[in-house]
Amino acid sequence: MRKVDLLRLSIHNLLLHKIRSFLTSLGIIFGVGSVIAMLAISEGAKKQALKQIEAMGINNIIVYTKPPSLEGKNATDTSKQSMVEELGLTKQNLTHIQKMDNVKEVATMRNSRKIAQKGVTQLDVKLVSVTDNLSNILGIKTTSGRWLTPVDNANRSMVCVIGKNIRRKMYNLGEQKIIGSHLRIKDAILKVVGIVEDGGSNTVPEIGGINDMIFFPQKTSESLFKNVAIESAGGRSFKMTQIDYDVFFVRVKNTESIDHTARRIKAYLKKNHSKTKDWDLIVPLELFKQKEQTQQIFTIVMASIAGISLIVGGVGIMNIMLANIYERRKEIGTRRALGAKQSDILNQFLVETVFLTSIGGIIGVLLGVGISQAVTHYAKWPTVYSIWSIVFSLVISSAVGIIFGTYPAIKASKQSPIEVLRSE
Amino acid sequence: MNNPVVKLEKLYKSYYLAGNKEVPVLKDINIEIFQGEFVGIMGASGSGKSTMLNILGLLDLPTEGSYQLNGIHTESFSDNQLAEKRNEAIGFIFQNFNLFPHLTVEENIEVPMVYAEKSRKERRRFACDLADRVGLGHRLGHKPNELSGGERQRIAIARSLSNSPAFLLADEPTGNLDEKTSKEIMEMFHELHAAGTTIVMVTHNPEYENDFDRLIRLRDGRVVSKEEFLRGSHA
Ligand SMILES: Nc1ncnc2c1ncn2[C@@H]1O[C@H](COP(=O)(O)OP(=O)(O)OP(=O)(O)O)[C@@H](O)[C@H]1O
Ligand SMILES: [Mg+2]
Repeated sequence: MRKVDLLRLSIHNLLLHKIRSFLTSLGIIFGVGSVIAMLAISEGAKKQALKQIEAMGINNIIVYTKPPSLEGKNATDTSKQSMVEELGLTKQNLTHIQKMDNVKEVATMRNSRKIAQKGVTQLDVKLVSVTDNLSNILGIKTTSGRWLTPVDNANRSMVCVIGKNIRRKMYNLGEQKIIGSHLRIKDAILKVVGIVEDGGSNTVPEIGGINDMIFFPQKTSESLFKNVAIESAGGRSFKMTQIDYDVFFVRVKNTESIDHTARRIKAYLKKNHSKTKDWDLIVPLELFKQKEQTQQIFTIVMASIAGISLIVGGVGIMNIMLANIYERRKEIGTRRALGAKQSDILNQFLVETVFLTSIGGIIGVLLGVGISQAVTHYAKWPTVYSIWSIVFSLVISSAVGIIFGTYPAIKASKQSPIEVLRSE
Repeated sequence: MNNPVVKLEKLYKSYYLAGNKEVPVLKDINIEIFQGEFVGIMGASGSGKSTMLNILGLLDLPTEGSYQLNGIHTESFSDNQLAEKRNEAIGFIFQNFNLFPHLTVEENIEVPMVYAEKSRKERRRFACDLADRVGLGHRLGHKPNELSGGERQRIAIARSLSNSPAFLLADEPTGNLDEKTSKEIMEMFHELHAAGTTIVMVTHNPEYENDFDRLIRLRDGRVVSKEEFLRGSHA
């Protein structure tokens, strides 16, 4: 039998019972649909996690000041009221870490909440003093103007660079007009020299999103404000805390030994801050690995569910093909009498089954894409589907057809033609 | 005399029931059928007519003995070879037509040609010719259930001819038809016979006795003479 005729015959037979064919392939449709949606959702989650972590820097260790928990704080508060309390990362810590083996450079960040004013617009902003190398380490880019320079720092220039949200909330001007304009913060007036591009959901521990920040030179900050923050504790008493730095972004030379370096920093800080643990440390690469692991478990669970539904779908198809073959035994016998070989009968039913599952697979792919689109639209989860996952699903669905179609097809081909022609 | 198309020698056929119980159906059959003959097979129900036709049609294999088709021994044929021979050398006509209900008349006639791997064009041309030959050239696009019984059997005859086989095998081809239609179908076989086709036909109907060139009478699985046959049926 020629291949064209084989294909034509199988399509013809499937079209004879459109509803039945459709119902038969439902299992495959849902199986493949869930595979596609699952892969798209988990790929999307992975990509998002990767993006976030990449923004923090794969080569970075983030060390930050973390105020101890409230209970502990209250206890010290009552005993030592209205004293200036030292907290968090210190200058000494910075010099020590900078000298470590695998450390290439360190960028620092210090946050002080201040009210920024532009004309009549007032805004509670995150005013952060930073070292100029922060843009390198975090990969920060400007859309207009420029980033801070070493010269700005050395001269204690009254300049700043603003984040995307600050720009949106404070100005309804064009970007060119913003550059060179002035912001008043307390008694200081800072000239805006640059606007930072959208940092997405990129956040700094204990401070927040970089879109909400105003960056200005570290040295400028030191001469403008003493590094003292006034915090209200419980609304009644006020407390002065002296914090040198909020965050160190430590870039390592060799990523392979980032773990080792992180352990050494930890050990050092543990010793140096032996009274209270007022710091913490993040290795984005580690976070990424952990996230990937939980992601993997999720993927395995989902893949098992999808796999089971494909098997159930396949068994359903096998069942229906067996019934189908019993129903068509007279046709099979007649074909054999007219010269069909066993292989012709086998191929006919196998191609029919594979067609059924492949078409089910195609519909399933469309369904899966639809589901992930809906998930993106309603749940705002990012989804990513690759050509690879689509090809994979189509291969799987054809394979299901071959696996579950072979037995019925062999059974059909082994039927003796006389038995069949005899039975009335 | 020319070589026989079919030659059966010392042919036996038994069925085996559960528990290896042997049911002998055909016993010591020795038959030759020659090119252009119109041969009838008669016998009581259960005498082994259909079994013999199945063996002649290579749908079933003898338990013992030999079957030569056009001088070639068929006993050691593989399943594929048997299928090929059925396809190219034998035309089947069944009592209940066995047309494919979802295919058109034209497609039904084409089926044996599909298995002979003929091109679509060739199949179409040949199917039209055959439909014309059985007087149904105007019904090519119809489905079998839109045709009468006689018309269906004529389509089945056209189908049996589609690979120009060495001989036709018909198992009670008029068994499901009324008298008038049966006559028309017999007429059609006579036309084919006149054109040189070799035909082997099983029938119950004693009226057709004189339609055949030769009659093979079966009793309890044996070929018997006319006298023996009549004696048997009286007993
Ligand atoms: N598969 C089988 N297993 C066992 N016995 C069988 C089988 N097929 C046929 N027989 C027996 O073989 C004998 C001959 O059957 P066959 O069908 O050839 O008879 P027939 O002459 O065609 O009868 P009818 O005129 O009723 O069609 C019968 O006794 C039948 O019971
Ligand atoms: Mg019979």
